[in-house]
Amino acid sequence: MPTRILKKSWFIKSIFFTSAFIILLIGGITYRNIDDLSKSSELLTQTYRLNVELEQIFSHLKDAETGQRGFLITNDPLYLEPYDAGRENINYSFAELKELSRNNPTLQKNLKDLNVLIDERMDYFQKAFRFSAVGNYNDQNFKENFYKGKKLMDTIRLKIKGMIKSQNDLLKKTQHTYESNLKVTPIFLYMVLLFSLVLMFFAYNKIIRDLKEIKASNEQLEIFKESANQSQIISQHGNWIWDIDTNTFKYSDNLYRLLGEEPQSFESTVENFMKFVHPEDAEKLSREIEKMITNKDLPFVYYRIIQKNGTIRHFKGYGKLHESSDGGKKLLGTITDITDEIDNLRILEDRNLELERNNRELSAFNYVASHDLQEPLRKIQTFLSRLEDKESSKLSEVGLTYIDRIKNASTRMRLLIDDLLQFSRTNRADNVFEVSDINELLESAKQDLAEIISEEDAIINSDKFPKINVIPFQIQQLFLNLISNSLKYKSKDRIPEIHITYSKIKASDDPEILKPKKPYYHKIIFTDNGIGFDNEYAEKIFVLFNRLHNKDEYSGTGIGLSICKKIIENHQGFIFANGKPLVGATFTVYLPIT
Amino acid sequence: MQEDYINIILADDDEDDRLFFTDAFDELRITTNVKTFNDGVYLMDYLNNEESIFPNVLFLDLNMPRKSGLECLKEIKQTDKFKDMAIAIYSTSASEEDIEKTFVMGANIYIKKPNDFKTLKKVLSEVVTINWQYHTNGLNKDNFLLRL
Repeated sequence: MPTRILKKSWFIKSIFFTSAFIILLIGGITYRNIDDLSKSSELLTQTYRLNVELEQIFSHLKDAETGQRGFLITNDPLYLEPYDAGRENINYSFAELKELSRNNPTLQKNLKDLNVLIDERMDYFQKAFRFSAVGNYNDQNFKENFYKGKKLMDTIRLKIKGMIKSQNDLLKKTQHTYESNLKVTPIFLYMVLLFSLVLMFFAYNKIIRDLKEIKASNEQLEIFKESANQSQIISQHGNWIWDIDTNTFKYSDNLYRLLGEEPQSFESTVENFMKFVHPEDAEKLSREIEKMITNKDLPFVYYRIIQKNGTIRHFKGYGKLHESSDGGKKLLGTITDITDEIDNLRILEDRNLELERNNRELSAFNYVASHDLQEPLRKIQTFLSRLEDKESSKLSEVGLTYIDRIKNASTRMRLLIDDLLQFSRTNRADNVFEVSDINELLESAKQDLAEIISEEDAIINSDKFPKINVIPFQIQQLFLNLISNSLKYKSKDRIPEIHITYSKIKASDDPEILKPKKPYYHKIIFTDNGIGFDNEYAEKIFVLFNRLHNKDEYSGTGIGLSICKKIIENHQGFIFANGKPLVGATFTVYLPIT
Repeated sequence: MQEDYINIILADDDEDDRLFFTDAFDELRITTNVKTFNDGVYLMDYLNNEESIFPNVLFLDLNMPRKSGLECLKEIKQTDKFKDMAIAIYSTSASEEDIEKTFVMGANIYIKKPNDFKTLKKVLSEVVTINWQYHTNGLNKDNFLLRL
């Protein structure tokens, strides 16, 4: 989320620059307007003064004319006073006008024209005085001069009027532009202000929203930090951060706890940490840290630490370089307390060793017992045969019966020992799986039993088998045991028949397989027509030394089917028995397809 | 005329077995000269003596104190002058492991001690009348163990 806020800051930036631009714009416009206003008022004053002076010039001219006329009529020099003053006043006004028209070339030209006209008028005044001095008022020249003076006076009046008008026009025009400007400016300013207000509103909204987002992500960060803290405690983790740029370390609270200390109770430095490291591991760890500092990487490292109370704990460390978006480099490291793991592993190892030892002892015991038991038995049997050969004539009928009984007992004992030996050898560990021709294994088993098969006239028919990955001699043993089992428990009133069928099945389709380890199985079914058994013993018959019949009737040891079960378990398969008394038995074998 | 005898030696620590062995040869109608030793050390002492007569067939029990049958077999096979001696392993067990090991070490035949006297006689007469040259040429792991 913070990166999103960062990315969106261009929006705020653009709003800031737009606003600044708008403020400058408003300032510029206002300055221009005020400038216009002052110029316009200056023009107004100028026009007013110009008009006044022009009117005054005309009025002085009129005074001068009136004075002249009065003098001409009365010849009293008293009337010459206004004439002289008029002349002077006109000059003053002209000076004033010149000053006022400084920036206005048209006006200057007009003034020059006016000045020429006034000078001309004055000339006529002077001429009139010359005529009056001689008293020749009826002279044609005087009259003409007077008339020309009046005409010129009219021209001056017109000129002044024109000048005033043109000045008024200029004022009006300026005033008009200024007014129209003044009329548009407020609307424009208002619009601009409104626009900037809207922009500011957006910016405000945006800032508020971003602040909220930052606050939310801060809160999330806080929560995450706390849960990381908790998970460190519960999983016995601690972490450290090495800021490569400033070469400073920071340890998490739980790292201190793992060391058996209060959080942040000492400065987080390598030196302080090394104080806790087991002396035997210190050198190794220092080497790793040196390597870490040069390589900026810390592979898995294992070491021990000693807490202040003397407890030794096993640590596992790991570190990885982290580069932030602004290029800052930090090495983030994690430390785990693996003491419990190591303790458990040690216990497990001990138990495994013990188990292995027990197993070895047991099988050694089994082997030795079976093996060493054979020797005295063999001697008993041999001595019996010697006794029978050499001394039988000296024995009574009862004595011979006893010898017979001893012979039977020792034969049975031999059978038991052989089977036990077989059972103890049926181990998975020492036997190698190989892809074998099951048909051949069955054939070998049948050969081993050839004598009894032909004795019983037994019929054995079987499907063709594929090659299967098995421990060959064990599978041969399985066939041998199952067939001899069927022949042993044959029905007395019919020829024994054994049918062996093969099929490939899907574990999920077969109701017998409750917990399949593989999806597909080879299924081999042995069906015989022997004496069968009650189904309530279907599981019991696989238990070691378990027999369903009296040993006088049937010569079993109760080991053969246990061996079968062991073989099938070695192959990760299943074996089930199914019987019907007096009808026959079925043995179903499942071997996983690998 | 000692040359006409078939010289036979048995090394076996079991007194009863030595008795059965000699009894069986006594009852067989083969002219044999049977010598027995209580363990491997006595056997090897005898064989290493220059004046001793080499047996035609040596019967070796595997489990013997002091020096086992396997150790004797190894020593004999390493010594040139004993190279052509026929060696029959004569043991109570017939474990795959023992059979395999002695076959690889160069024994000529493996006999599991029978559990009646008649069979013992049959086995022994079979073994002493074997044409070793012929037997050894066709020897393989399957016919190594004597079956009757």
